[in-house]
Amino acid sequence: MTPLALTLLAPLLAALLIFASRRMPEALALVGVALGLIGAVGQLIGVAGGGASSVILTFLPDMPIRLIATPLTAILSLVVATVSGFVVLYAVGYMRHDPQKIRFFGTLLLFVTAMQGLVLSGDWITLLGAWELIGFASYLLIGFWHDRAGVAGAATRAFLYTRSADLGLYIGAFVLIGASGTSEISTTLATTGTPALIAGLLLLVAAMGKSAQVPLQDWLQRAMAGPTPVSALLHSATLVAAGAILLIRTAPMLPGGALVAIGIVGGVTAVITGLIALAEKDLKRLLAASTSSQYGLMLVAVGAGAPIAALLHLIAHAAIKSSLFLGAGVFQHDRDGTDLDALSGAGRARPGIFAGFALSALALAGIPPLAGFFSKDAVIAAALASPAAAWLVPLALAATVLTGAYMGRALHVLWAGNNVARPKPVPFMAAGLGVLVVLAAVLALGFGPLEHLLDAELVEAGLLAPALGLTAALSGLALGWLVKPRRLMGPVFGWAQRGFAVFGGMETFVARPALAIATACEHLERWLYDWVLGFGRINLSLGWLARKIDITGIDGFIFGLVRQTINAGSRLRKLQSGFIHREMALAVIGMAVIVAILLAAPLYS
Amino acid sequence: MIVELSVALGIGAGLFGVGLYGALSQTNLVMIIMGVELILAAALVNLVAFWRYLHPDAMSGQMFFLIVMTVMAVEMTVGFGIAIARFRSRGSVEMEEARELKG
Amino acid sequence: MTGSYAEVFFLAFFGIAAIWFGIVVFRTHSMVRSAMALLFSQTAVGAMFLVMQAEFLGVLQLMMMATEMSVMALFMVMFMMDPGGMGAMDMSHQKRLSLWAGGIGLVAALAVSWLPDWGPVAQNIPDASRQIELLGIELLGRSMFIFESAGLTILTAMIAATMVAIAPRKTGEDA
Repeated sequence: MTPLALTLLAPLLAALLIFASRRMPEALALVGVALGLIGAVGQLIGVAGGGASSVILTFLPDMPIRLIATPLTAILSLVVATVSGFVVLYAVGYMRHDPQKIRFFGTLLLFVTAMQGLVLSGDWITLLGAWELIGFASYLLIGFWHDRAGVAGAATRAFLYTRSADLGLYIGAFVLIGASGTSEISTTLATTGTPALIAGLLLLVAAMGKSAQVPLQDWLQRAMAGPTPVSALLHSATLVAAGAILLIRTAPMLPGGALVAIGIVGGVTAVITGLIALAEKDLKRLLAASTSSQYGLMLVAVGAGAPIAALLHLIAHAAIKSSLFLGAGVFQHDRDGTDLDALSGAGRARPGIFAGFALSALALAGIPPLAGFFSKDAVIAAALASPAAAWLVPLALAATVLTGAYMGRALHVLWAGNNVARPKPVPFMAAGLGVLVVLAAVLALGFGPLEHLLDAELVEAGLLAPALGLTAALSGLALGWLVKPRRLMGPVFGWAQRGFAVFGGMETFVARPALAIATACEHLERWLYDWVLGFGRINLSLGWLARKIDITGIDGFIFGLVRQTINAGSRLRKLQSGFIHREMALAVIGMAVIVAILLAAPLYS
Repeated sequence: MIVELSVALGIGAGLFGVGLYGALSQTNLVMIIMGVELILAAALVNLVAFWRYLHPDAMSGQMFFLIVMTVMAVEMTVGFGIAIARFRSRGSVEMEEARELKG
Repeated sequence: MTGSYAEVFFLAFFGIAAIWFGIVVFRTHSMVRSAMALLFSQTAVGAMFLVMQAEFLGVLQLMMMATEMSVMALFMVMFMMDPGGMGAMDMSHQKRLSLWAGGIGLVAALAVSWLPDWGPVAQNIPDASRQIELLGIELLGRSMFIFESAGLTILTAMIAATMVAIAPRKTGEDA
């Protein structure tokens, strides 16, 4: 239990301390992720024997918050902790001259906490909550430099596209909870029949959103507007992995129909985004498309019925892609941008960094004995062994070729030109990059023990899978190095450059309607506010009117009455002339009146 | 219709009218008192006429007469006393100048 | 109605005399003459009383009025600024109002007197001595209280008039 707590609480406390104390963000961040890494290691050691430790916190009745560390979740947790640790180390150097370090490191650590929560979650509610949090953290981090042109729009669109797919997760989770009566994930995996199929398809939708599968792949390209450490951590190893993690964890439950759909979606994505990557002009966007492609391969593995292969590829990809991004970041600092034309020759200027970059690129392409070879091997083997091999194998092989092609192209561009003077050394960035490259290289050695740990056996496909894979990889690399993409892709090139947009793409289907609704709501709100103010004004004017009536009307009437009385009094005053004869005349008149009344008595009595 | 009574009452009415005119129109206090005398005389004439022609047995008529006579005497007495006081303080008893009670 | 014609005639004669002298009171400019005219008017009224066989009352009227009018004449001379009436000043005000008041009073009194039917004339009139007797019995019998209060009123009036008429004594001066 304690390693689990450490894994979650260390980054959380570090984030809170950074925001509260507003000083030493780098030091606090490094301490936080270091402790988190220690916790993850301890956790894995703790469950190595096959057991599981869990933490249960009360939340809703019958639906407590469960955090569980099985071998699977502990491995994933370790992956997250490792990548985040070295990315933070790299970010210390990358963000050295940025004035908003506090916000950056704080938000980054919050993301790490949320991701660990997602990975270690034991029930659907926690998973949903963590899912939302990582999406929100991604929005904040993509839009980190929000005063730059286009960044805010990119962050909004990334958020909107992924959100539109999260609906699948919500409905799927509630279907599962409803079908099995509890929110604990392991229990809900026992669902069968139609609820399982429906849930499986809905979870696929959610995975398509988060892992940037076709047709929702565009947001990942846009997300490259954020700082490179963010791209390295979120958009290669962790956030986009959430979709694949979801499918890997629920794999026991998925029925055949859902698996076929997953495999097809993954395969198509792998090919299409591979083409997009080949046609890209920007290095980071190329790497983003490559990420979508690799996750497509993972989905192919899941669809082929071998989630373990997907898991191995995920782990390998995490180390590989993050190191590629970190290398791209170094070149970005050198050339103040990631446009491939600007980066021409950047690799030659930094041989060390370029060596690391090249090593990871080869690992991605699938060259032995690097990690990528073994994981891609496993994926192709699984595809060969699956019932839908006729669809999956060609797609997987095409994806492998494309992987080699675009990586070859990138390497070619970076190595072009002559040797130029050595720029300033970058210790932090080099350190972070170096460790991840080493991991990318040697991770294959750990695959055996991993399979043992997870009590799973990979399908042995003899020599066919490795042979196919190696051929595809080498041919791809050669094509990429030697042939320009325009000639290679022919008529598809222009369309691929625009990201294979159909009918205006996601912009038309998701972004514009959502933003239009938001504007309409704002107008409605403003109208309501004005209406309420107007109502208030009416009441105020009623009050004023009442006051005016009171002052002019009632007061006027009363004071007028007073004035009339005074006037009448002053007029009556004239009767009091002081003359005796007048008084006597009045007396006589009064007496006459009285006598008349008395004499007329017979008339009225 | 008793002729004598009518005549007597008519005389009384005439005295009353003259006395009223005088009381209201004179400026001098003494002249006003004279007017009041005439009015009271008219009352006396009426009293005696009624006594004589309608109820000669009832002496209450003559009693009333005595009371009115008393009133006449008293009124004259007090009136002249006031006239003396006024004359002393102001030098005349003209009612035109007596405006002190003007409101 | 043997004595009635004479009675009516003398009533009318003395009555008109009284009224005429009354008018003279207010028309003459001389103060003494108005006092005298008033005296004659009251005397005529007294004569009327005698004609109506109220001997005591008539005599009373004659005596009292004679005295009073003399006193009034004295006061006239004392207080009037033009007792002889040599000046031609008109000493009256609100003449029209007074004329109207007098006129209306006259008409109203006549209407009230002449319009109703007063009933038959009483025939039995006690003679003078009998009248005095009856009056005395009335006075000291039934109307004792009225008599007493009248007496008290007269006393009060005398004291009041004397007090009002006495000149105020200046303090600190020898009496």
